[in-house]
Amino acid sequence: MMVFARCSAVPLLLLSLGLASAALADEHRVTGDGIGAFVVEDGKVDPDTYEGYLVYTRACMACHGPDGMGSSFAPNLIRAAERRGWESFAGTIASGREVQPGQVMPSFADDPYVMGNIPNLFSYMRARGEGGLGRGRPRIIESMQEQDDEDDASVEEASGED
Amino acid sequence: MLRETGYAVTAISLLAVSVAHANQNQLELQQNPEYWATQLGNYQGNRFSELDQINRDNVNELRSVWQFSTGVLRGHEGGPLYVGDGRLYIHTPFPNKVFALDLEDEGRVVWSYEPDQDSRVIPVMCCDTVNRGLAYADGRLFLGQADNTLIALDAESGELLWDVSNGDHTVGETNTMSPLVVHDMVIVGISGGEYGIRGHMTAYDVESGEMVWRGYSTGPDDEVLIDPETTLMMGEPIGEADLGVTTWPEDEWERGGGAPWGWITYDPDLDLIYYGTGNPGTWNPDQRAVDGEPADNKWAITVFARDPSSGEVKWVYQKVPFDEWDYDGVNENQLIDVEFEGEERKGLAIIDRTGFGFLLDRESGELLVAEKFAPETNWADSYDMETGRPNVNDEYSTFRQGVNVNTTDICPTAMGAKNMQPSAYSPRTGLIYAGINRICMNYEPYETEYVAGQPYVGATLTMMPAPTENGQMEGRMGSFIAWDPVAGETVWEVDERFAVWSGALATAGDLAFYGTLEGHVKAVDIENGEELWRFKTPSGIIGNVNTFMHEGKQYVAVLSGVGGWAGIGLAAGLEDPEEGLGAVGVFSALGDYTKLGGVLTVFALPD
Repeated sequence: MMVFARCSAVPLLLLSLGLASAALADEHRVTGDGIGAFVVEDGKVDPDTYEGYLVYTRACMACHGPDGMGSSFAPNLIRAAERRGWESFAGTIASGREVQPGQVMPSFADDPYVMGNIPNLFSYMRARGEGGLGRGRPRIIESMQEQDDEDDASVEEASGED
Repeated sequence: MLRETGYAVTAISLLAVSVAHANQNQLELQQNPEYWATQLGNYQGNRFSELDQINRDNVNELRSVWQFSTGVLRGHEGGPLYVGDGRLYIHTPFPNKVFALDLEDEGRVVWSYEPDQDSRVIPVMCCDTVNRGLAYADGRLFLGQADNTLIALDAESGELLWDVSNGDHTVGETNTMSPLVVHDMVIVGISGGEYGIRGHMTAYDVESGEMVWRGYSTGPDDEVLIDPETTLMMGEPIGEADLGVTTWPEDEWERGGGAPWGWITYDPDLDLIYYGTGNPGTWNPDQRAVDGEPADNKWAITVFARDPSSGEVKWVYQKVPFDEWDYDGVNENQLIDVEFEGEERKGLAIIDRTGFGFLLDRESGELLVAEKFAPETNWADSYDMETGRPNVNDEYSTFRQGVNVNTTDICPTAMGAKNMQPSAYSPRTGLIYAGINRICMNYEPYETEYVAGQPYVGATLTMMPAPTENGQMEGRMGSFIAWDPVAGETVWEVDERFAVWSGALATAGDLAFYGTLEGHVKAVDIENGEELWRFKTPSGIIGNVNTFMHEGKQYVAVLSGVGGWAGIGLAAGLEDPEEGLGAVGVFSALGDYTKLGGVLTVFALPD
């Protein structure tokens, strides 16, 4: 699955873009660096944050509600991601959490799809919080989509016979 | 006083019909109007009670006599059974506890049962860990656990009699439905249409738990239990073999969904069971097309009429060939006898996910009526009554609009204009009473890959309240309606802030009951919908209002406890299409009104 391959390569790219954009101080562009880096520009996002949105809808939405906003069963994750930080965010997904008897966050340790996408989920949550990203399925920033496709192509070339 | 002679006559005439079968216990129980022996009140799915001690004139005096907390959070669907032994039998969502409560002793626990289940089943339940309740016959209670274990309990002691596995949760199969006992079999479907499972309906022997038959929703005829020479479609033999294979791209039927997780109804006279199948496989229609063109994806979103003894399919009607909106076709099939164009017909009525109210002939499967009960419905303009197919509106076709294109303002949503909440039918008024959803959606398909046990959805969607007309409650997301199934018209409707996600009840006391997501139980005048009584339970209601009589006193009982898909999608409020244009506050968040927690409330009139 393509999503697994992406995780390692792209944060570096985002990191460099993040630094550049901070200097520009463009009010339409909000970025965050480090693990879970993200770019939000006019309501559009980088490819990893977009992937995080899709993973969210598949694995998290059934309890945490649409767009990270929480549901009757589980809390809003938008600010929680920011408040708790990466280690707690990733640790909770991997280990689960028993909030109280009968209210349990399951562990996703046995789920390679979720485990491989925790940085992307974190990017999406940060984009929703710090990045001010709105509800619904975001678009990908065109220039970053092209860059992402080129990176994928070069990764495939480099890894050769696969 | 009660009309006892009337009951006796009804009971005798119905008994005469089906003496051929060994197990009459469930049929006898449900013909006694003092009991509520099956989740939908009777085999026909009518949710109607002949009791009239509580009626239009005194319902304002109705009060709660006791409440019981189940100790379980999350959504409480289904309702209590009463079979005349002075107890109420109730169940909970995962972990699927069962309680026998003493009706005369304010709900004292006579016994309780809690299965030991793998909690890894929780994250593969798409739409909350709900369960729609117990079935009963001959001193046995039957429960379909979340992990697909079907169990029989001794109703007297709560002792486990047998258990059998009906599916595998590690590949995304789960159970939420209430089984139905017919003859000497307990019949149960399966959930998991969002995980690429292959749906099936299965009958087990009530004594031993041994499998009697299994009919799949997709695949070759011999596994669906179709005979193309004799099984009817629109009143004619299907003719062509293996449509459950040929109407899919290669092998896609193997993960084709069609999960039958709703209600089963049964006609003891025709000796046929009826149920609907769910959405086909992935929500991305492009992956279910054949040679780039829409393919029927049979037999997803199809009404099946089967012989309960063999599982053989008598007729099929596919409500939505080539689904593009997740219009999961599991809604209950109300069996009603009607006069249609001057002729007596054995009818089958559906308040469907699609926003259309259907009337079919339940002997032949012919389509008689298809009209919109939710007028905002726009995915199809109408149904072609010759072919039985919808006239799909290209503007709202997520297939025509394309993959990675956001098709906007489709009505209704994937939740359906009505979800699983079972409707009621009064033979006295000839009308169906149903809680419905007034919500529209944007739907964007994307390419997805099948991995066993992983979600196989392939579309993202956002939702917003349906548009209103003059005089309707602004931003309302639900209504309670009275529907004429023959004329295909709404007779009256009452708007509600949130989707009405509870099962309805109609009674001979000229009342209709329903619950709201804020947690109100309401009684309305069956003639015009005027509210006559309400009670605020501790949490939102997605359970069903049931009624019964014990020692000369009529009771009404309901499980509250918000959850289900409504508890996920509506909790934080819907997306506001006019965001930034000053509509703040119109689109209410359910989380501002109610929180989790299962409670049974029992009501009666003062002594």
